[in-house]
Amino acid sequence: MLGTHPLASSISIPIVPGIGGAEVTALFPLVTFVLILAFGRYLPFKGAFPGIVATGLGFLVALATVVEIAGGAGPRHETLHTLVAGVSGEGVTLTFGVLIDPLSALMLTIVGLISLLVHLFSLGYMNAEGEIDLPRYYAALSLFTFSMMAFVLSDNLLMSFVFFELVGLCSYLLIGFWYREPGPASAAKKAFLVTRFGDYFFLIGVVAVLGTFGTAQFASYAPGVEASFVEIATDALEHGETGEMRTFLGLGERAWITAIGLLVLGGAVGKSAQFPLHTWLPDAMEGPTPVSALIHAATMVAAGVFLIARMYGFYALSPTALAVIALVGGFTAFFAATMALVKQELKQVLAYSTISQYGYMMLALGGGGYVAAVFHLTTHAIFKALLFLGAGAVIIAMHHEENMWEMGGLKDEMRTTYLTFLAGSLALAGIFPFAGFWSKDEVLFETLVHALGGGAPVLFVAYALGLLAVILTAFYTFRMVLLTFHGDPRTDTAEDPHSITLSMKVPLVVLGVLSVVAGVLNMGVFKGFLPENALFLERWLDGATMGEQFRESSLTAEHYHHVLTHDFGAGYSSGYAGLGEGNLALVGGVVALVLALIPAAVAWRLYGGAEPDPHMMNLGRIRTVLMNNYYQDEYQVWLARGFTLPIATLANKFDQGIIDGLVDGSGGVSLFAGGRFRQIQTGVATTYAALLVLGLLILIAVFAVTGGWI
Amino acid sequence: MAVEPGWYLLLSAAVFCIGLFGVLVRRNALVFLMSIELMINAANINLVAFALVYGNITGQTFVLFLIALAAAEVAVGIGIILALNRNFESIDVTDAVTMRW
Amino acid sequence: MLIELLLAVTFASAVWVFLAADETAPKLAAWLSLLPLAIALYMWTQFDASGNALLSGSTVGFETQVEWFQLGQYTLQYHVGVDGLSFPLVILVTVLTTLAIVSSWTPIDERQSQFYGLMLLIETALLGVFTALDFFLWFIFWEAVLIPMYFLIAVWGGPRRKYAGTKFLLYTNLGSLVMFVGLFMLVLGLGDSLTQLSLPAIAQALAAGELSETVFGLGGTELRAVAFLLLFLGFAVKVPIVPFHTWLPDAHVQAPSPVSVILAGVLLKMGTYALLRFNFTMLSDIATSSPAAEIIAAVGVISVIYGAMLALAQRDLKRIVAYSSISSMGYVIVGLVAFTPHGMSGATFQMVSHGLISGLLFMSVGVLYNATHTRMVGDMAGLAERMPITAWIFVAGSFAYMGLPLMSGFVAEVLIFVGAFDSAVVSGAPLFTAVAMFGIVIVAGYLLWAMQRAIFGSFELETDYEVERAPLHDVAPLAVLLGLIILLGVQPDLIYEAIQDAIGPVLELNAVVPDWTVPFTGGEI
Repeated sequence: MLGTHPLASSISIPIVPGIGGAEVTALFPLVTFVLILAFGRYLPFKGAFPGIVATGLGFLVALATVVEIAGGAGPRHETLHTLVAGVSGEGVTLTFGVLIDPLSALMLTIVGLISLLVHLFSLGYMNAEGEIDLPRYYAALSLFTFSMMAFVLSDNLLMSFVFFELVGLCSYLLIGFWYREPGPASAAKKAFLVTRFGDYFFLIGVVAVLGTFGTAQFASYAPGVEASFVEIATDALEHGETGEMRTFLGLGERAWITAIGLLVLGGAVGKSAQFPLHTWLPDAMEGPTPVSALIHAATMVAAGVFLIARMYGFYALSPTALAVIALVGGFTAFFAATMALVKQELKQVLAYSTISQYGYMMLALGGGGYVAAVFHLTTHAIFKALLFLGAGAVIIAMHHEENMWEMGGLKDEMRTTYLTFLAGSLALAGIFPFAGFWSKDEVLFETLVHALGGGAPVLFVAYALGLLAVILTAFYTFRMVLLTFHGDPRTDTAEDPHSITLSMKVPLVVLGVLSVVAGVLNMGVFKGFLPENALFLERWLDGATMGEQFRESSLTAEHYHHVLTHDFGAGYSSGYAGLGEGNLALVGGVVALVLALIPAAVAWRLYGGAEPDPHMMNLGRIRTVLMNNYYQDEYQVWLARGFTLPIATLANKFDQGIIDGLVDGSGGVSLFAGGRFRQIQTGVATTYAALLVLGLLILIAVFAVTGGWI
Repeated sequence: MAVEPGWYLLLSAAVFCIGLFGVLVRRNALVFLMSIELMINAANINLVAFALVYGNITGQTFVLFLIALAAAEVAVGIGIILALNRNFESIDVTDAVTMRW
Repeated sequence: MLIELLLAVTFASAVWVFLAADETAPKLAAWLSLLPLAIALYMWTQFDASGNALLSGSTVGFETQVEWFQLGQYTLQYHVGVDGLSFPLVILVTVLTTLAIVSSWTPIDERQSQFYGLMLLIETALLGVFTALDFFLWFIFWEAVLIPMYFLIAVWGGPRRKYAGTKFLLYTNLGSLVMFVGLFMLVLGLGDSLTQLSLPAIAQALAAGELSETVFGLGGTELRAVAFLLLFLGFAVKVPIVPFHTWLPDAHVQAPSPVSVILAGVLLKMGTYALLRFNFTMLSDIATSSPAAEIIAAVGVISVIYGAMLALAQRDLKRIVAYSSISSMGYVIVGLVAFTPHGMSGATFQMVSHGLISGLLFMSVGVLYNATHTRMVGDMAGLAERMPITAWIFVAGSFAYMGLPLMSGFVAEVLIFVGAFDSAVVSGAPLFTAVAMFGIVIVAGYLLWAMQRAIFGSFELETDYEVERAPLHDVAPLAVLLGLIILLGVQPDLIYEAIQDAIGPVLELNAVVPDWTVPFTGGEI
C-alpha cells in the first residue's frame, strides 16, 4: 500500500517517518506540551526551544509525507485508538485514526510551517520583551499545534469535532494569555462562547451522522471500514431506492443530507468566523500577535474551512447547502471588508481582512470550487501569517502602539519588515503575480462558471459580493500599508522605532518569499495557455501522483466534480459565456486585477502623501456604523445580557419563589399547625386531667352509641 | 342482710367523683394527692364489693396490693411535692409550667 | 467474601476513627480510607461479572447470598454482589471518599474524630447501597446514608446548616417513603409466587409476567404504571429531577466542600442508579411505552435546560456548580429513557464521570474558599495570580464540565446524545436531543463568566491577611481527580465495556434496537 518513490526514500531520514508515521507530527507538540507543563521554567528559552524542535520535526515529517505522496505513496487510513467499542454491532464505535491524503498532507505542512515560524517569531516577540509566564504560553502553543494537526489528520467526523473543540480551548488559553488585563479575559470568553454556539450545531451534526449512517468515517481505505458516511450518502442518492437510507423527523433523503450538512456548517461558520458568528475574531486581537498569526493563518479559523473541504463530497450532494455556503461566504467577504475600511488599528484591519478572506474560501466551496478553496486556504495561510507577523514586528517597534495614525514612515527604519509586509499586502490585495492574485481569482472564476452554467441564481449574488470585496480589499490593504510605512513619522516612537531581532526577521523573509511565489501552485488564470499538468494543486488534489486506490476513490477533486455536476448531487454545470474556459479565466483575471488596481491607486492618492488626512472621517454616520461593526457585537451582547440573563434571573425567582416556596411552604404549614396544636400542652396538671376525663367521657359515649346502650 | 351490689357501685362512683372533682378544681398539690387516694379507694371499694358478691378472694387480694401501691405512690408523690416546693417555692400545681410547649 | 471485607473494613475504620482523638483523626481517616480503596481496586483486577445482576443469564461478581430471617412468607436475605453497573460506582465511592477526606484537613477544625467517622460511615452505607441485591438490605443502606449526611451538613455546615440539613433529610426521606410504597405494591402484586425480597427475584418475576394479584384495586399494567410512577417520584427527589430539586442547592451551599463532594459525587448517583435498577430494568415495559417515555424525556430535557438557566443566574460558585449538577443529571435521564445501547450505557458512564467532575469542581471551590473565605463571584478576582495551580485546575474542571473532548464529560455526553438521537421508544427523539444539547452552550456561558470574573483579571480581594497558595494536601486530590477525568476521557472503555455488558440484557427485555445499518450497495461512486 505504501509504495515508496525513490526520491522519497532518499530524503527520508530515520527520525522522519513520512506517511507511515505522520501522526508523530501531532505527537511531537503533545510531548512538548507535557514537557513544558512539567518543567517549563527549567527549559531553554522557557519552553520555546522544545517547541521549535517539535514543530520543526513535525514540519519535516509533513514535508516527507508530501514528498512520499508525490512519489506515489498513500493514501493512509488507519484506526489508531478505539475510544468506545460497540458491543457486537449494537451502537456505533467511536475511534481515533489518521487519514492521510493529499488534502491533509498539504494542510499538515502548512500547519507545521506556520507553527514553526510562529514559535521562532515568539522568541523575539515574547522572550526578548521579558514577558512573564512564558512556559504557559509555549505549553498552550504546543497544545494548539497538536490539536490542529490532530484535527487535520482526523479520519472521522467525531475525531474532527474532538480536536475542533480542543483548538477552541487552545485559542481561549492563548487569547486570554494576558489574563490580568480585563480585555484579553473577556475576549477569550467571547471567542470560546461564540464558537461554542457554532459547535453546538456541529455536534448535533456529528450525532446525526452517527445516527444516520452508523459511521463517521471520511474515507474507507482502512481495513474494517466498509464505507465512509459520505460514500453511503452518495450511494443512497445515486443508486439507492427511496427509503433505504435512514432519515429522521420525516425528512426525505436529500433534505436530511442537507440538514446534516447545514448543522455541520454551523461549526465551520463559528470557527471560520463567518457571518453572523464572526464577532469573536476581531476581539481575539487581544492575544499576543504571534498567536493571532497562528489562529488566522493555519489553525483555528482555517479549521472551519478545512472541515467543509474534508467532507466536500457530502456537501456536493446538496445544492441547498452549497448555495447557503456560497451566500454566507460571499456576504461575509464583502461585509467584513467594509468594516476593515475604517479601522485605525493595524491588527483590526488584518482581523477583518481575515474574516473577509475566509468568506472567499466559503464562497469557493459553495460555488463548486473545491480546488480554489484549498488553494486560497494555502496562499492565505502564507500571506496572512506574514502580515500578522509583520504587524507584530511593527507593534514591537512601536512599543505596543497599534494605531496606524501614530505610525507613518516606518519603511526607512524597518526595511525587512516593510518589504515583506508589502509582499503580503500585495498578495492580500490580489495584485499580479503575488500568491493571493491566483487563488482569489480562481475562487471568483469557479463561482462565475457555475453561476453561468445555470446554477442557483444565488451564485450570481455571491459572485457579485465577492467582486465588490475585491475592490474594498485592495483599498483597505493599501490604506494600511501607506498609513503604517509611508509618509512622515507622526510620532516620536515612529521616528525612532525599537529594533527587531533576527528571530523575527527570519520568519518574515521565509513567508515573504513564499507570498511571491506560491501562486505557481495553480496558475488557473492561464489555464487556457498552459499545459494541463501545470496546474499542480489541482493535480495534487486529484491524486494524480498516487496509485489507483486513491484516484478512483471518493476523496479526489475529480470525484467531487463528478458529484457536483450530476443530478443526484448538486447538479451544477459550467458555462463560459461563449468565451471558452481558457479565455474566460483570463478575462476574469484581468477584470479582478483592474478592480484591485483602481482602488489601490485611489488609496495612493488619498493616503500616499507625506501627511495623509483621515479621509474616512468624511463618511460621517456610515463610518460610525462601520466603526461599531454594524452593531453586531451589541446585539450579541444583548442576546446574552439583555435576553438570556433576565430569563435566567426570572427562572431563578420562579425557582426560589414558587418551587422552593412550595417546599418551604409545606414545611411552614406543618410548623404553623404544630405551633397551634402544641398549645394544648399547658403544663398545668389540671388541664391534662380534665382532657383525660373528657377523653374518657367521649369514649364512653362512643361505646354507648355503638354498643347499642342508647 | 345483704346490701345490693348497686349501692356499692354508687358509693364507689360517689367517692371517685369526689376525688376527680378534687383533682380538677384544687391547685394545692397535697390536696391533689389526697384526691388521688380517694379515687384509688373508690376502685378498692368496687374490688372488695365484687369479691363479696362473687365469693371470690381475688378481689380482696388485689385490694391489699393496691393499698400497698397507694402507700408507695404517696411516698413518691410527697417526694415530688417536696421537689416542687423546693423549685417553685409553692405547691400550687399551676405554677409548675416550665415544661409546657 | 471481598464485599463483606470491604463493608466490614470501612465500618471498622469508621468506629476506630470515632474513638480516635481529634488531633489524630484526620490522618488516621485518610490512611484507613485507603483500605477500602485498595480492596475495591483489587476487586477490579478480579472482576469477572457478566450480564446484569438483576436479570437471568448473568454472572454476578463477588456474590454472597445467605438467609437472614423470615418475615411472613418472605425470606429476607443477606445478598450482595456487583455487576458492570454497580462496580464503577463502588470504585467511585472509594476514590471520592479518600480524596474528600484529604481535602477536609484544612477546612474542618473542630470535632474531627466525629467528622471523619461520619465520612467513613457514609462510605460504608454507600458501598452497601451499590452492592446490596436484597431489597430489605438495600433499603437499610439506602436510609442509612441519610443519617451521617444529615449530621455532616447540620453540624459542620454554613450559617443555615440546620435548615439545609433538615430540608435534605425530610425531603429525601419523603422520597424514600413514596418509593417504598411503590415497590411494595409490586411485591404484593406478585403474590404468593414471590418468596423472597431479593432484587433479582423481583425483577425476574416481573419479567416473567407473574404480577397476578390486585393491590388497591389495581392490577396488571395499571399496577405497574402506578408503581412506576411512585418509584420514579421517589427517586426523582434523590437525583434530583426538576421540580424536586430545591433541597440540593441549599444542601450544597451549607455543607462543607468535602461533604458537597460526596453529596454531588455519589449521593445523586444513588437516585439515577436506583432509577436504572428499578424503573428502567424491572418496569422497562412502562418506561418504553408512550407517552411515558416522551414525558420522562421531556422532564430530563427540562432538567438540563432549566438547571443550566438557574446556574446562569447565580453568584455563589457553589450554587453554580450545584445547579449545574441538576443539569448534568438531566442528561442521565435523557440517556436512560432512550433505551438504546449508547444512551443507557452513556448515562451510566455519565454518573461516574459527573461524580468525578462535580467532585473536582466542589473540591476546588472549597480550596479557593479556604484561602479567600468567600465564594461570591463578584467578591474576588484574579485568583490565578495568587493560587495558580488551584485556579488552573478549577479552569480545567470547568472545561471538563463543559464537555471538553478528551475529558470524561465529553465521552459521556456524546454517548448519551448519540444514543438519545437514535431512540426508537421516544418519538421525536432527535428534537429532544437537540434541545438537551443546547445545555452545552449555556454551561459554557456561566462557567466562562465565572472564570473570567473570579480566576482572571488582576488580583482583588479585601482580606486582612495574605492570600497564599494552597497546601499540597489540598491540591493533590484535585490533581488526582483531574487525572482520572482525563484518563476516562481518553480511555473510556476502562469501565464502559463493563457498563455496556450489563446494559445489554436490559435492552433485550423490551428494546427495539434501532437498525442504523444502512444498506450500502457498494456501487460505483
